[in-house]
Amino acid sequence: MADVGRKKRLADYGLHSERTLMRKKGPGVFEHELGDLESKLGLTTVEKAVAWAQGHSIWPDTFGLACCAMEMIAIVGSRYDVARFGAEVFRSSPRQADLMIVSGRVSHKMAAPLRQIYDQMLEPKWVIAMGACASSGGMFSNYAVLQGVDKVVPVDVHVPGCPPRPEALLEGIVRLQEKILAGVPPAYEIRGVAQ
Amino acid sequence: MTTAARRQAPIYTGTRIPSPIPSVLRVDPALREDDDILEVNFGPNHPSTHGVLRLIVELNGERVEGVEAVIGYLHTGFEKNMEQKTWWKAITYPERIDYLSFQINELAFVLAIEKLLGVEPPPKATWMRMLLSELSRIHSHLIWLGTGALELGAISLLWYCFRERDAVLDLFELVTGVRMHTRYFQAGGLAEDIPPGFFMECRKFADMFPGRVDEYEALLDRQAIWLERTKGIGLLSAEDAIALGQSGPVLRASGVDWDLRRVQPYLAYDQVDFDVPVYFNGDVYDRYKVRMDEMRESTRIVQQCLDGMPEGPWILDDRKIVLPPRHELHTSMESLIHHFKLVTEGYRVPAGEVYVALESARGELGCYVVSDGGSKPWRVKFRAPSFVALEATATTVAGSLVADLIAILGSLDTVMGDCDR
Amino acid sequence: MNFADLPGFASTTEERGETTVVVETARLRDAAEFLRDQRGFNFLSDIAAADYLGWNERTVAGYWGHRGGRDINRPGSWGLAKKPEPKAKRFSVSYHLIAVVSGARGAPRVRLQIWCDDGEPVPSVVSVWPTADWHEREAYDLMGIEFDGHPNLTRILMDDDWEGHPLRKDYPIGGEPVRFSGAE
Repeated sequence: MADVGRKKRLADYGLHSERTLMRKKGPGVFEHELGDLESKLGLTTVEKAVAWAQGHSIWPDTFGLACCAMEMIAIVGSRYDVARFGAEVFRSSPRQADLMIVSGRVSHKMAAPLRQIYDQMLEPKWVIAMGACASSGGMFSNYAVLQGVDKVVPVDVHVPGCPPRPEALLEGIVRLQEKILAGVPPAYEIRGVAQ
Repeated sequence: MTTAARRQAPIYTGTRIPSPIPSVLRVDPALREDDDILEVNFGPNHPSTHGVLRLIVELNGERVEGVEAVIGYLHTGFEKNMEQKTWWKAITYPERIDYLSFQINELAFVLAIEKLLGVEPPPKATWMRMLLSELSRIHSHLIWLGTGALELGAISLLWYCFRERDAVLDLFELVTGVRMHTRYFQAGGLAEDIPPGFFMECRKFADMFPGRVDEYEALLDRQAIWLERTKGIGLLSAEDAIALGQSGPVLRASGVDWDLRRVQPYLAYDQVDFDVPVYFNGDVYDRYKVRMDEMRESTRIVQQCLDGMPEGPWILDDRKIVLPPRHELHTSMESLIHHFKLVTEGYRVPAGEVYVALESARGELGCYVVSDGGSKPWRVKFRAPSFVALEATATTVAGSLVADLIAILGSLDTVMGDCDR
Repeated sequence: MNFADLPGFASTTEERGETTVVVETARLRDAAEFLRDQRGFNFLSDIAAADYLGWNERTVAGYWGHRGGRDINRPGSWGLAKKPEPKAKRFSVSYHLIAVVSGARGAPRVRLQIWCDDGEPVPSVVSVWPTADWHEREAYDLMGIEFDGHPNLTRILMDDDWEGHPLRKDYPIGGEPVRFSGAE
C-alpha cells in the first residue's frame, strides 16, 4: 500500500476496503481486465475501419459469361469456399453488388449491357477481369470479341488463365481485398471511367 | 430400352409450333386489345438464363403470351478464327464452344480431321476418348442439375453437384494437367500417355458416383414442390421435336428412341453395353429423368472402359501427322525434318468435306469441315445442339407461367457458348 | 440410296461414307419436300454455308498428310504442287439431313447441297423443316446468303446494325494488331 503521508486514511473515517478486511485477497477479475485495457482497445482511423468492412464483404454480381463462369461458380462450392473471404453472396441485382467479376469473353454485342450493368452498380465498385478473354481478348483475336474488357470498364485486378483455376480467382479476390485494405482507391478513380 | 411406361396417347395432338415464324411466339391480337400485355426483358445478364440469353417476354399477368429469344451475346467468331490457324492449333478452339462438355466438342473436330485424313487411331486412344467423353457428359449433367435445381429452389443440390463436379475435374487434371479445356486429343490419338494413377482414381469415382446420383434422386424424385414445378410443364411432342431438330435428352424425353451412340456408333460404343433412357411425357420432369439415367449409364460405360482399356500406343506412328518422340530427334534425320515440318507448317489434310456427328450431352453435335488440301481448315462449322434447342422455346413455353419459363429453359439445357459460337 | 429422281437433281458423290446430292438452287424446296415425304428425311440437322472465294488461287504443295496423297509408284508425286479443283459458284449451302425413326439401328444421312453466287437468292426450307428458321438466319447473318420466303430474315448473331457478313473470305479477321504476334 502506498504511503500517503500523515493524511487521514480511509480507516480513520471508519471505512475499510476489501484489502484491509481480507488481507489475503488478491486483485479481482475486474482489476485484471482493467489492467490490460490499452492492449484491448483498437485505435484506428475511419478510413481503415471502412476499408476493413468493405474488403471483407465484397459481394460479387452474377456476371458469368462463358467458361470462366463455371470456375466462378466452383468457388462458391464447398471445396474452394469463397465464403471464407466474405464474398459468397452473389447478388443478381447490380444495385446490390460491389464487385463485377467479368468471367468470359465479351462480344461486341454484350459490351453495351456490360457497361450498363457496371453503371448500375453503386460506388464504391470494383471489377475483376477473370481469364484471358476478359483481360485481353484471349485466344480470340477477331471481329467478334472485345479485346479486353478494360476497353469499356476500368479493371482493378486481372486474373490470368484459360480458365483460371478457382484458386487463381480466389487469389485475385484476396489481392483485391489487400488493395482495398491498403487504401488503394477503386480503378475508376485512378484510371478514370472509360468513355 | 424404355424405362417408363409407354404412353398410349400422344403428348398433344397437332402441332404447337408457332406460325409463321417457328421460333417466335406472338401474342394473340385479340388479347392485345383486351388485356394489359407487359413486355419484359429477360436481359442478357440474368441469373437463370444459363448464360447470356435475352428473352423478350410478353406477359399477361403471370402467363407468357409471347416470347422471342435474342442470341448472339456470346458470339465469338470461332469458325473464322479456326480458318486462320493450322489444323493442330485449331483443335484448341472447339472446346470453348460448349464449355460444359468440352471434350466432346474437341472430339468432334478431331474425328473430322481423322475422317478427312483417313486414319484410324489406335484402340487405346479410342477407348480413352470414349471414357473421357462419358466423364464430360457426367460433368455437363452435374452442372445442369446443380444450376437447374438452384433455379427452381432446390438450392442445396448446387453444392452437392459441384462437389462431384470437382471430383470429375480432378480426374481430368490427373490425366491432362488442367481441369477444364483439356486439349488432350490429337489427330491420330491422344496427346500423351495415360498416367498410371488414373485408372485407380477413376474406378474409385465410378464406384462412388451411382450412390451420389441416388442421393440426388432421393432429394428430388418424389419431392412435392419439384413435381409441381416440373410435371406437365413444357410439353413437346415427338413430331414437333423432330420438326424442330431437337436431339439428345429433349428428344428422348418426348418418346423418340434416338441416341447417336446407339444408331451410328462411333469410337467403340458398339463394344460397350449401355441402355438409352427414353421417357414419354415430354415434360420437364421427363427430361430431368433422362439426364439422371444418363449419368448412371455413363458411369456404366466408364467402368466398362476401365475394364476393357486396351494396351498399346496412345497415338499413331504416322510421322506425317504425328510428332516423332523427342528422343528420336537426336539420332534420326527424317524425324527431325518431320518435326520441323509439322511444327512450322503443320500437317496437310486432303481436300474434301466431311460432317461428323456425335452425341454430346445436349444432343447432336456436328462438325462440318471443308479442307482444300492445305495446312489450315477452309471452313469449319459446328452444328450446335443448344442453338437448335432454343428454337424450341417458343413451342414449349406457350401458355405457361413465368416461373415455368425458367424451368423449361433449364430443361432444354442450353449453353450460350454452344449457341452463339 | 439412289437420288436420281430428285427434282432438280444435278449430281451425287459418295466419299468417305457420306453421300452428297447437288440439286439446282431454284428447285431446292421441291427437292426438300421430296426427301422429307418420299424418302423419310424428316430431321434437318444443320445448314452449313461455305464461301469458296479464293479457293483455286493458291497451290497446296504435295506434303500430303496421308497415304491418299502419296503414290509410292509415282516418286516425286508428293512433291508436286497442285491446285484444288475450281468451283463453279462462290457459295455452297449444305443441308445435312437424317431419317429419324425411333428405335432404329441405323442413321441414314444425306447432304443436300446447292451452289449459289453472291446475291442469288436461295429458296427457304422453313416450310419443310421448321428448324431451318435460325440456321438460315445464321447463314444470312454470317455469309450474306438471302433466303427467299423466310418469315424473319434478320441478323441473329451479330448486332442488328452490323455491316458486312463476317464469315466471308473477303471480310477481315478483325481484332487488334498486337506486337510480337506471329503471322497467325
